[in-house]
Amino acid sequence: MNLQNLSIKRKLMLITMLTSSLALVLSSVSFLIYDLMSFRRQLSQDLMTQAEIIGFNSGAAMAFKDESAATATLSALKAKEDIVAASLYSPEGKVFAHYFRANKSLPPSLPSRSQQNGYRFEDGYLQVFEQVTMNGERVGTLFLLSDMRQWNTRAKRYTGIIIVVVLICGSLALLLSSKLQKLISKPILHLEDTMRMVSSNKNYEIRATRFYGDEIGRLIDGFNTMLSEIQLRDSALQRANNELQTSTHELEVEIVHRKRTQEELLTAKQAAEQASRAKSAFLANMSHELRTPLNAIIGYSEMLEEEVQDLGKISNVRDLQKIQAAGKHLLALINDVLDLSKIEAGKMQLNIEAFGIADMIEEIVMTLKPAIAKNANEFQLRMPQNIGVMRADVTKVRQILLNLLSNACKFTDQGTILLDVNRVPNTGQDWIQFRVGDTGIGITAEQQENLFHEFTQADISIARKYGGTGLGLAISHRFVQLMKGRIMVESAPGQGSVFTVHLPVQAAGEHPENTQSPETVNAGASSEVKPDSDTILVIDDDLAVRDLMSRSLTKLGFRVVAASSGEEGLRLAKQIHPLVITLDVIMPDWDGWTVLNKLKADSDLAEIPVIMVTIVDNEAMGRDLGASSYLIKPVDRERLVTLIEKHRAVRLSTLEKASALPANWPSKGQKNSRKPEAVGPRRH
Amino acid sequence: MPKILLVEDNEMNRDMLSRRLEKKGYRVVLAQDGRQGYLMARSERPDLILMDLSLPVMDGWEVTRLLKANGSTCHIPIIVLTAHALVSDREKAFEAGCDDYDTKPVEFVRLSDKIENLLVVRQSS
Repeated sequence: MNLQNLSIKRKLMLITMLTSSLALVLSSVSFLIYDLMSFRRQLSQDLMTQAEIIGFNSGAAMAFKDESAATATLSALKAKEDIVAASLYSPEGKVFAHYFRANKSLPPSLPSRSQQNGYRFEDGYLQVFEQVTMNGERVGTLFLLSDMRQWNTRAKRYTGIIIVVVLICGSLALLLSSKLQKLISKPILHLEDTMRMVSSNKNYEIRATRFYGDEIGRLIDGFNTMLSEIQLRDSALQRANNELQTSTHELEVEIVHRKRTQEELLTAKQAAEQASRAKSAFLANMSHELRTPLNAIIGYSEMLEEEVQDLGKISNVRDLQKIQAAGKHLLALINDVLDLSKIEAGKMQLNIEAFGIADMIEEIVMTLKPAIAKNANEFQLRMPQNIGVMRADVTKVRQILLNLLSNACKFTDQGTILLDVNRVPNTGQDWIQFRVGDTGIGITAEQQENLFHEFTQADISIARKYGGTGLGLAISHRFVQLMKGRIMVESAPGQGSVFTVHLPVQAAGEHPENTQSPETVNAGASSEVKPDSDTILVIDDDLAVRDLMSRSLTKLGFRVVAASSGEEGLRLAKQIHPLVITLDVIMPDWDGWTVLNKLKADSDLAEIPVIMVTIVDNEAMGRDLGASSYLIKPVDRERLVTLIEKHRAVRLSTLEKASALPANWPSKGQKNSRKPEAVGPRRH
Repeated sequence: MPKILLVEDNEMNRDMLSRRLEKKGYRVVLAQDGRQGYLMARSERPDLILMDLSLPVMDGWEVTRLLKANGSTCHIPIIVLTAHALVSDREKAFEAGCDDYDTKPVEFVRLSDKIENLLVVRQSS
């Protein structure tokens, strides 16, 4: 096992044990060595002293060559257990007497000759040579041999003691270190456990316990701080994640919902288109079927009238004339229905030609003479001599005027019918203004609401009393739109009515109804854009919205300029001064608020009404910034058109004030000036 | 006495119109469908034809086209009468080669003016 990879606990114990054991062993061994060395010196000193005593005692025997006495002296060494052999040498160096310890199994060999004084250790034995003197004369040499028995015993005993002490000390050290290492290892191990728990459970609420105020304690504090930080971030991340999930889910639901709505709308649209086509076809067909029998009714009654007249039966002639009149009325109604079905089917076409306005008016007045005379009304015509020529569909202009004038005759009794024809200068091109006024029963504000709508007669009693399908004004309105003109009504009950029709002097040559490619001036061709009181500027980054708005507004006779960004929109607004601006809010770069702000900040543009058209539901913001109206997508087209018409009426009345009105024009109808979309009892 | 061929499938209209024309002094021959009208135009050699457009067997456009394509009948003036008042019907009728056009119910005075005009033009040429 690699030492470095041992656990902290074992490392600490190992370090303590090694250090303490080494210190103990080293000190013990050095003490032992010192003791044994000094003991050996002491032993040799003892032996030297012994040798001196023995040498002194044996001096006489040696001097007198008394061998037995010398041997007896040596025998006294029996008391010394450690001396294993001794011998006396003559001065010549020959062994004179000797002694061996009896129980010695292997008697050591004595040195054959005497040697120098002194001691030496040899083969585990201590040898001592000592001069034997007698009265200062050297008489021989003594040799002693010790087997160092005491030293050996001592060394063995000491070694045993040291081993025991080391073992005891070692186990004590082990015990102590195993207890004390916890001071260090416990907090570290705890920290490690905590870390493992945090990382495996991903639970950042766990905290490590701080045991002591040392470096590890501070480490744990740091770790805990780090955990708190991570916990904070984790919970913030979790929250953000939850929010994201919630909003993603909401978005998914929204998308599904929208898709479903879209599909439903598409289906509904297709169904509506199908129904509309079927209705138009039905109307065209019915009008054909109705004309055939009418043909017979009118024809036979005319024929009969001629025959009866020849016979002079005047009363029958009148009855036959009534049949004819009813038949012709019915025919007119059928024609209206057919006109409307053609308009709705997009089959109504304009036959644009130049014609003298005065000639047309004269013809109309001729046609109307009987109708004017019927209710004893007085007719007044005001028209400048030099009214000139206009280019339009003369049949339709005639039909519009005939409709308005015959309505005026129908609803006025013993009053005045006025027709005022004027040329109104305008930027771009002049307008021809026809005003049809009467002093008749008038129209209430409520009735005006639906005046130009098909098949709605505000008051059934009116239909009973005056007749009519309620289609005349609707058709007139459509014809005016086809020729890019405008029709308006000013009226109050009992105060008469004034219908005003504006038509451009030069009607556009194309067939504006059922246009597959509406006249949309795109931003790219902006250099050709001219100032026009009929122009709507559509600012929206969504191509589909721009296209849709262009199509629907163009159909209604407006000129549409589209801009795909706020910046472009602002530039175009300066260039063309549109009648109205429709403005989206959510756009790249400049949002709608920014654009609105810039528009209102520009004194030149601030007057242009801005209609916000957006999915952002914040009308208050729009109003605060100066928007005149606020529409939430999907846009209610009727409402948008009504708003635009309102602004156009305001603009027109400003224009009209600029161009002087006839001084004696009846002013009674002015009280209840209504926007052109406003409508009233169905007149025919 | 000019002879007029009236091609009309509706009995009442045929009767009413023929009687009024006769009263005006024209000789009137009648056909009830397109095929009969075509055959009678060739056999009767009328001075003028009044042609309804929606006819059984063969419609008025087809008859008009055939008559105008044939050298022996192409000079006979044709006035197309129809209850269809759509512009496209009128254009189709003129394309087929008719000389004039009127919508039903006919305004008899207007129609007899048209007849008169066409007969005068024919006589002078």
